[in-house]
Amino acid sequence: MPRSFEEVVLPHLDAAFNYARWLTKNDADAEDVVQDAYLRALRFFSSLRGEDARAWLLTIVRNTWYGRFPRRAGSAVMTVADEEEDHRADASLDPEAQLIQQQTVEQVRRALETLPTDFREVLVLRELEGLSYKEIAAIVGIPLGTVMSRLARARERLAGVLATRELSGGHRGLP
Amino acid sequence: MDCREVEGLLDAYLDGELEPAVSTSVRTHVDACAACRQRLAKVESIGRMVRRAPYYQAPAGLRARLTQARPRPRATSHWLGWAAAVVMVASLTGSVLMLKSAQAPRTLDSVDAVAQEVVSGHVRALMGEHLFDVRSTDQHTVKPWFLGKLDFAPPVTDLAQAGFPLTGGRLDYVADRPVAALVYTRGQHTINVFVWPEASGAVRSSDARAIRGFHVRHWSRAGMSYWAVSDVNDTDLDQFVHALQQ
Repeated sequence: MPRSFEEVVLPHLDAAFNYARWLTKNDADAEDVVQDAYLRALRFFSSLRGEDARAWLLTIVRNTWYGRFPRRAGSAVMTVADEEEDHRADASLDPEAQLIQQQTVEQVRRALETLPTDFREVLVLRELEGLSYKEIAAIVGIPLGTVMSRLARARERLAGVLATRELSGGHRGLP
Repeated sequence: MDCREVEGLLDAYLDGELEPAVSTSVRTHVDACAACRQRLAKVESIGRMVRRAPYYQAPAGLRARLTQARPRPRATSHWLGWAAAVVMVASLTGSVLMLKSAQAPRTLDSVDAVAQEVVSGHVRALMGEHLFDVRSTDQHTVKPWFLGKLDFAPPVTDLAQAGFPLTGGRLDYVADRPVAALVYTRGQHTINVFVWPEASGAVRSSDARAIRGFHVRHWSRAGMSYWAVSDVNDTDLDQFVHALQQ
């Protein structure tokens, strides 16, 4: 007995919205993307065969978002060079790690939103959604090794943003 | 393992994504190396930080819209799935026309079959991300690109003045023949126009319909058969067709 769309897909509506919200950075666009994605999911439901429904739905969310906002999605892609080296001085590690601990939820949210989409999405998928590298690779459409290096660089960048903010007086440059 | 190797693996180590043997090597090194222990602690603290970021739950209104829009609890067959999708699109856009076509799937005559094909072509292009073979807003670049690739010259007009800029074109395959697909945009939306010469003796027809949530327009002009497909609203699509026919 095949399971119904409701049983399989609806439980992941929050995951879909959370991902869309972090991609679009606003509620209205996120709702539009999720609504479109839901329709597509419904349409392609018969093609879902035993894969993880959440990763499948999130892939559709991402494709929908990419289709709706090609320019924004495209420019975000351009800003990321996965091979680029980005090492910070070891001497700064200790105070930096301490500063990171003191961030408020709001500061973290803002810092995440300043990251290029490619970095932000892997962090969200890994830390908030708890997905494996393999699932992230499938959703984002990149090789497993790239997931690893991109996540590492994303964390590094986020730490950099948080530390810079803190050292320069917190809210500088923020609305 | 030296520090440099370990540094590149710390994230995957923390995420539990390393092979057991590699993971053990990393742990052995970290146990013995204060600098790497510090790096590990930093990566860990960033992870904890991110996990404190907001998890946005689907708004109740959205959830209600999506669940109430589906009267049938099960989509066990292909047709039911389709019908449900169309019913849902209809309920979201308020169009009754779509409901009817969903409830009584007709035998496809050739125009219906072509309409289905162009919608599939539109969806395929958007989903597969192969929207362009030639990407240009210049009609004088797009038009010659088709030379030698098709046995006809599709008329190519930029409609930027009318609010529908041309963004490119590609070869597509519809009704058992290669056709020209021209790509226009309206805001965030994409409009695909499929063009090919009319078969001799074909009945001239014009047609407006909605399929799977996409709006479709069909007309003939100067020996060419045109199909426009998009998710823009009816009014915009009519305006587009009007501009193209000028």
